Amino acid sequence: MKPKLLIFSILILSLFVIYSASAETRLRCASTTSTLNSGLFDHILPIFEKKTGIKVDVLAVGTGAAIEIGKRGDADAVLVHAKGLELKAVEQGYFVNRHDVMYNDFVIIGPVEEPVKVKAVRSAAEAFRLIAKAGHPFVSRGDGSGTHIKELSVWLEAAVNPKGAAWYLEAGQGMEKTQRIANEKRAYTLTDRGTWLGTKDRGRLDMIIVLEGDPALFNQYGVMSVNPQRHPHVKHKEAVMFTEWLVSKEGQEAIASFKDKNGNRLFIPNAVLK
Amino acid sequence: MGLRLEASGIHKAYNGNAVLGGCSFSFESGVYALMGTNGCGKSTFLRICALIEDPDMGEVNYYSGALLLEKDIKLRRRITLLLADVGVFNLTVLKNASYGLRIRGMDKNELRQRAESALEFAGLIHKKDHSALTLSSGEARRLGIARAVAVEPEVLFLDEPTAYIDRRNSELIEEMISNMKKETVIIATHDEAQARRLAGRVLSIEGGRLA
Amino acid sequence: MDLVLSGFKQAFLLIIRLDRELLRIILLSLKVSAAALFIAAVFGVPLGAVVGLRRFPLRGAAVSLMNTMMGLPPVVVGLFLYILLSRSGPLGFMGLLYTPSAMVIAQSVLAFPIVASLSHSAVMGVDPVIRQAALTLGATPFQAAIAVLNEARYGVMSAVIAAFGRLMAEVGAILIVGGNIAGLTRVMTTTIALESDKGNFELALALGIILLMISLAVNAVLYLLQRSGGMKRGRSWA
Repeated sequence: MKPKLLIFSILILSLFVIYSASAETRLRCASTTSTLNSGLFDHILPIFEKKTGIKVDVLAVGTGAAIEIGKRGDADAVLVHAKGLELKAVEQGYFVNRHDVMYNDFVIIGPVEEPVKVKAVRSAAEAFRLIAKAGHPFVSRGDGSGTHIKELSVWLEAAVNPKGAAWYLEAGQGMEKTQRIANEKRAYTLTDRGTWLGTKDRGRLDMIIVLEGDPALFNQYGVMSVNPQRHPHVKHKEAVMFTEWLVSKEGQEAIASFKDKNGNRLFIPNAVLK
Repeated sequence: MGLRLEASGIHKAYNGNAVLGGCSFSFESGVYALMGTNGCGKSTFLRICALIEDPDMGEVNYYSGALLLEKDIKLRRRITLLLADVGVFNLTVLKNASYGLRIRGMDKNELRQRAESALEFAGLIHKKDHSALTLSSGEARRLGIARAVAVEPEVLFLDEPTAYIDRRNSELIEEMISNMKKETVIIATHDEAQARRLAGRVLSIEGGRLA
Repeated sequence: MDLVLSGFKQAFLLIIRLDRELLRIILLSLKVSAAALFIAAVFGVPLGAVVGLRRFPLRGAAVSLMNTMMGLPPVVVGLFLYILLSRSGPLGFMGLLYTPSAMVIAQSVLAFPIVASLSHSAVMGVDPVIRQAALTLGATPFQAAIAVLNEARYGVMSAVIAAFGRLMAEVGAILIVGGNIAGLTRVMTTTIALESDKGNFELALALGIILLMISLAVNAVLYLLQRSGGMKRGRSWA
């Protein structure tokens, strides 16, 4: 019976280990998969932690889900890129203290053979119209993410309703998977430059950027804290510290100094410095 | 004061098939043999008398002198039944022999001594550390007897103790029964010669009734 | 094919290097699954035994329910617990969402019916004569039940190990309630999902291989247990 006792005590011990959650200060920040996958957090969070002793746990989901998680009070801060939605949620009283932090931009990518000749046009809306007219496959994130929301706004501008069309494929997946699906289907898709640069070689994507530089594809990131009046349990003080650091000179420099492993600068800080 | 059993008007049916139809019986100290062909209800009758199964009708009562005893665990622990299909536990031979003592909460040393002497009595002491599942059917039956006598019951029921085993084991078991320090032993058997060899009184069950 | 090969190569290197982050992920996987299994066993084994040994009304329905629950979709369990544990949910005040404890709860819910149902089968597989033999030797009904459960111990252990295998491989529920937070709730399966999402197929594959090896080890233990307990006589599996 002795080994049984041993196993039992080990199990009980492991329970205690799990339940005695660490005493260090932790801040939970809901953000997007693409931000996490870019490696930005791995670069800037250790700098913040070293300075303040606050460990930031990043919860990576789609933008829509990240805002929803914040609204429910399941995170302390939210760092996403859907300014319209963010401002609306602040207005509704779910969040406070919203600040612009940085931006990157979206690009339209397509198969190297460029069947629709999107490269000939200048604006994103025009490019989408071309693709729709040709009925060429287009892969949408379809997951309520910031990228998806941006894509929908471009369709709106293009005055095309792609929903339900046979050539319009809704992946319901993260950006990298969506890119890979587009690659397999020889389709066009909208992606953020960071994900594109970070994965085109590793993913052996046979795709190219067919349109970039349209101001409509500007992708603003913002940070905001969950309203402590609505959710008294949130670590508001820490969330404010995090926000203030992100928009401080030091935080902005940390963002600016981040480069992906191919040496590309993915995010351009643009906070209004205090 | 020994135990006296009175069973009256025992009826039992399984799925509507009557097995026992009004058995009455009474005994105190001595060795009894219960004769009857296979399937005549001997085993059922023993299980009911040993208080591990309830009759559909009728009553089993135990008395100590004139005192009617309550049918509780204390009484049940004074009675033991060796089932025809022994029901050897998947444990070592020694742990099988000591099971009845263990559940009575007996101190470890005493328990070991008693179990070992029961195994010696059954001629199985050399196998005490073997898995009981490796025993032959004759040895398993002997282990069953050792397990039963280890708890020193005042009434011991034996259901077909020598059925389906070889001659040598049968003889060993008969010898064990004859050598028991016993108050009351009731042996169910279909072997008339055996019944006469072992028992002071021979009864038979026919058509679900005691004759 | 070269992807698989380099995956194996990287798995090998990872195991040799065993860097701290990876070790932490593997340990958390084991800890969460073990804790969940412990809870599931504490409740599931007795339930399986009771359902197997006691006669009560709706017993058949209880057995069917247990068997059905074995196939609970993990994502549904995850979603349900998410709603319960969310700060805006009824149990939100406990602050458990996105913690290892939430993962333990989710996995306990998943493992519980497996342990209960397989324990029930194991107990049902024990020859009824065992219970009778215990009773004839003076066991109380509870002691007799323990004797039957003891007889079924190899089957029960198999049940527990089978549940452990399922838990180690589970991703849907723990992803939802754990959130796959690096250094806090990231376990092997969620790391595999994340890394393959990121296109790091080699790392994902390497982790997959390590996971497979753990499963293999667990199953080897299961096999040895069954073999050592396999000296069973020709019992009627009633």
